This record gives sequence, structure tokens and C-alpha cells, in this order.
Amino acid sequence: MKIIDRSDFTALISELIAEDPREVVGVQADGDGYVFDSLESASDLAFEYDLTRLSPKKYVMPQRETLLTYRRDAGAADYEMRAEADPTGRIIVGVHPYDLAAIRQLDKIFIDTLHDEPYRRKRENSVLIGLTMQDVADTCFAASMDTASIESGYDLMVTELDDEFAVDIGTFEGDQLLESVPTRNATSEEIDRVETIETDLEAEFERGLDFPPAELPSLLEASYDDMDFWEAYAEQCLSCGTCNVVCPTCFCFSVDMVRELDGDSGRQERRWDGCLLEDFATVAQGENFREEVAQRHRHRFMRKGWYIYERYGDIACVGCGRCTAHCVAGVADPCEVYNELREAQHA
Amino acid sequence: MSDGDSGNGRQPGDADERPRVAFFDFTGCEGDQLQVLNLEDRLLDLVEVVEIVSFREAMTEHSEDYEIAFIEGGVATAHDERRLTRIRTHADTVIALGSCASFAGINALRNDQDFERVKERVYGEDAHRISSYPVARPIDDVIDVDYEIPGCPIDREEFVQAVTALVNGAEPTIPNYPVCLQCKFEENLCAFERGETCLGPITRGGCGATCVSEGTHCWGCRGMVEDPNEDAYTAVLEAHGLTTEEILDEYQLYWGFEREQRAVADGGES
Repeated sequence: MKIIDRSDFTALISELIAEDPREVVGVQADGDGYVFDSLESASDLAFEYDLTRLSPKKYVMPQRETLLTYRRDAGAADYEMRAEADPTGRIIVGVHPYDLAAIRQLDKIFIDTLHDEPYRRKRENSVLIGLTMQDVADTCFAASMDTASIESGYDLMVTELDDEFAVDIGTFEGDQLLESVPTRNATSEEIDRVETIETDLEAEFERGLDFPPAELPSLLEASYDDMDFWEAYAEQCLSCGTCNVVCPTCFCFSVDMVRELDGDSGRQERRWDGCLLEDFATVAQGENFREEVAQRHRHRFMRKGWYIYERYGDIACVGCGRCTAHCVAGVADPCEVYNELREAQHA
Repeated sequence: MSDGDSGNGRQPGDADERPRVAFFDFTGCEGDQLQVLNLEDRLLDLVEVVEIVSFREAMTEHSEDYEIAFIEGGVATAHDERRLTRIRTHADTVIALGSCASFAGINALRNDQDFERVKERVYGEDAHRISSYPVARPIDDVIDVDYEIPGCPIDREEFVQAVTALVNGAEPTIPNYPVCLQCKFEENLCAFERGETCLGPITRGGCGATCVSEGTHCWGCRGMVEDPNEDAYTAVLEAHGLTTEEILDEYQLYWGFEREQRAVADGGES
């Protein structure tokens, strides 16, 4: 672990903004909340934020992106197609551990499993500078999901200590970033302090899963047919898909063909989609596998706590609390749903 | 206005294979056709692929020889009905342009008000000259409609995509996700969080959540998603302190006709 003066850390971010060819993005205040956005100045960085509206997922898997373009010369019979994979990486500053955990899950899916080029390029060209949480959103339950602190998944991990920052180096690229500014090795007291900050943070969480997340798959498996439970929740669900698109681990997308007027060119775009939306599970011929809101509602919770675990080995809820914060109907909260299921099972 | 043929149809032997397109305006503000004109540079691309044979807002020529009819505005009079029926016999494809044509839109605001009072308020002492139906209706209440491009006004890009689909032999489609979805894409602060009410959760998206992005809230101009959970949404509004009357007011700006139809289809009262 290294220690860097506040002024040197600020100088480092300023230098990156000025000299690195990549865009530097970081957490900034926006109205009543926080967002990841392009950093114009190191002083715009918000170190004490609780939760951003969207996670930094948007930088590696954007809301919309072009996968393929095609064109032909007027009158020609054949189209020429070109696979597109936007390689734009960014230096992303201020990522909380739960969001790092989410990106680690996405890496496993998009890079290790799907070999998805548009994702891989952006991800591999990006730098993740993590930030130890200093504030906890009311809806966040990351501590109980074991994602309030993290040991890997970042290039650098920064913890604010008064006028200094403790910086844990996660990768060689992270190490190189530090080369241009003066640092020193952390003392054992400083290392202890970082650990204490992480431990004390757990007491800041007002909400939590009442049981170990490892029990979620078996709990959900046993709850699949409890339609009364799912229907009661679904009655209040607007099926708007908000919980899906604000989730840092949701990765489902739809692919649209966008033609140009002349019919000679166009592009294929993917955009975020969500399993709560009515048309999500509609296939050719109009068959919809999850026509009822209750089926879609159940599907989301099953996927977060069971299906993804079966397929990729991860519990796909990191406890950030975004779905809860953004759901106007107040029915998206995994912490509440899982605790209720568990209570019912043990009643 | 007259629909009489002024003789500008295709001439025999004309090799032009572009589909012939006509625009018609019924009861409405013509703002949707204005959106088409606002395409500006892209209008030139448009007329490369279609031949516009009638468009009162943009040209004086008129022909009844067309394949695709875009219809703006709703149905208010017996004359509207006759004219619509005639257009349907000429056109292979009829597309409702904008919210009034698609689901009666703003026009339906008057549907649950006393008709004589409505007329007086709008036309004053000339009210007696107005022969209109007491209820405003969308065009699919009179004729079969193939596609709808809702919006108040329409989204220009959605219009271009519809034309693109048609001239390339595909079906125009509109999204069935709510405005909320795109609003989250834009990372807007939720209008509810700003202390406003917003119809975004059950309004058909596709507008890019323009209104919320510009600092106001969704007014419902693109109609409802196909299967809105109205009860759940009403509960949300109640939770934000709205009275039943205020909630109905929220729903009434664009959805008067649509909700009545939905209630009838569900077998209940409106």
C-alpha cells in the first residue's frame, strides 16, 4: 500500500485529464444526486458520495452501441458488412467496491464466456480507480452482500485519510499510473487505519440481508412455485424496467436494425433491455414466455440470486440499492424480498 | 378543404417506382406535419424514396393517386368520417400521425365535459354554427389503421424510420417500453423525486424522455404502453399525495378516449 499527499493525488488526476488520450470520468454531484461524468477538473471529484444514478457499467456496456454496419453501392446486389467494436476506454475514478464487484461479474460473462469484442475492448482499455465508501445510501445493503469492500477488480484502490490517500495497487497499469507522482510506502498504522475504516463502515449500513448470500440459490429454488408471494408483489409493479437498467450487473440487451432511408446502408445496434418489460421474453411468432408481470417479477429475483449463480458462479446482486432507490412503486428491493422469502420459509 | 383530384397523379409510362405518399389533416393542430417539414435536409432524402403527391401544409398540388396515407388529427365531424372512409379506399397503407389520430389525444379532453359549454367556451357566440360530434375519436374508430406514430408532436426520427421500413418492405414498429426506461438511460433525476408527478412509468417510450430531460415531467403524449398497470400507477400517485380527482386530471390530458376504450374492453365502467 502506498501513501500519496492530497495535492499530489489532485495533480495526478489533473495530469491524466490533460495528458492521457483517454477521457477521465469520475463521480460528480448532479442536482440532488451523483453521476459518473467526464471530469473537467480534479476538484469536481466527489469523494463522499453515497450512490451514483447509473453505475460505471455504462462505460463498458453503453446504453446503446453499434455492433455492425452495412452498406452497398447504389444498384449493387451485395452488401458489405463490417463488425464494429468501439474500443474507447476511459479512466474511471471513484468506483465503489460494489460497482467493482459488478464489473468483475460482467468481465466473467462478456470476456471469459461470451468473448464479446465491443465489451472486451472498452474494458481492457479502461482503468478503474476504486474508492473506499465514505457514505452509505439508505437503500444500500452491500455489507451484507460482501461487496462493501473488495480485494481485487481495480487498478488502484483509494482510501481517503485526512490530507493523504492510501492507495492499494491492483494491477501493473495502476502501478504505472502512480509513477509520475511522489508516493511512499504505508506504515503499519496506516494499513491498520484503512482496515478500521472498512470495518467501521459496516456499522453505517441500516439495511442488510438477514442471512449469508450463499444461501440465496437454495432459498430461491424452494420459492419458485410460491406464486402467491410473487403475485402480491407484482400487483404493485409497473413493469417499467427501471430496476433492470439501473442495475450494475444486469447485462441483457436487444439488437435493433436501423436502416437508412435508401435501403443501401444501415447498422445494427444493441441497447439495454430488461426482463421486467412486457416484450422482453417475446419470441418470433409472438409467443411470450413471461406474459404475466408476476412471472417477470419472479424471474428478476431468481436471476439475481439463483440463475446467474448456476451459470457463472456469482450472486448477481451486489447490494448497491439502485433498484430500490429508483423504483417509484417501491417493489424492487431485493433485500426486502429475499428477507421476506427467508422469513416465510422459516416460519 | 377539398379532396378533388387536381390532376397531378402519375402519368402513363412514368417509370417512377417510388411509393406515392399523401398527408391529410383532420382535427388537430398540424404540428405533426410541421415535424415532417422540420426534417429540413432529410426531406430531400425522403423525396428520393417516396413521391409526395399531397401535403397541404407544404404544397398546392394534390392527387388522389397514392399508396400510403399519413393522417394527422382526430375525428370530430360527419364530414371527417366521410373523408376518412374515402382516403381508406384510395390508400393501401394508412398511418396515424400523432396522438390525436392515434388515440384522440388532446381532443378527447372535451369528451367528459358538457358539449354545449365546450362549444361556447371555444367559439363564443358562433357556437351554434359548429356541427361537431360531442366526442372526439381517433381515426381507427372509423377506419382500419395499419400503423400508428404517436406523439405530441411525433418524433421525427420515428417518422423517418417508419417510412424507411415501409419503402424497404418491413413493418414500422414503435417501442412498447415506458418513458421511464429511456429516462434512466439519460440519468435524469426522477420527476417524482423533484416533487412532481410524471406519467413516464406507463407512457409509451421512444421519445428519449425529452420532457424529463428538459426539466419537466412526462405528460403522456405518446399514449399508454400496451398493458399498463393502471392500479399500481394510481397507487403511486396516491402515495405522492394526489387526490382521486387530481389523479383523473393527470390521466385526462391525453388519455381520455384511450382509458374509456380500455375500460369498455375490460367490461367495466369508464
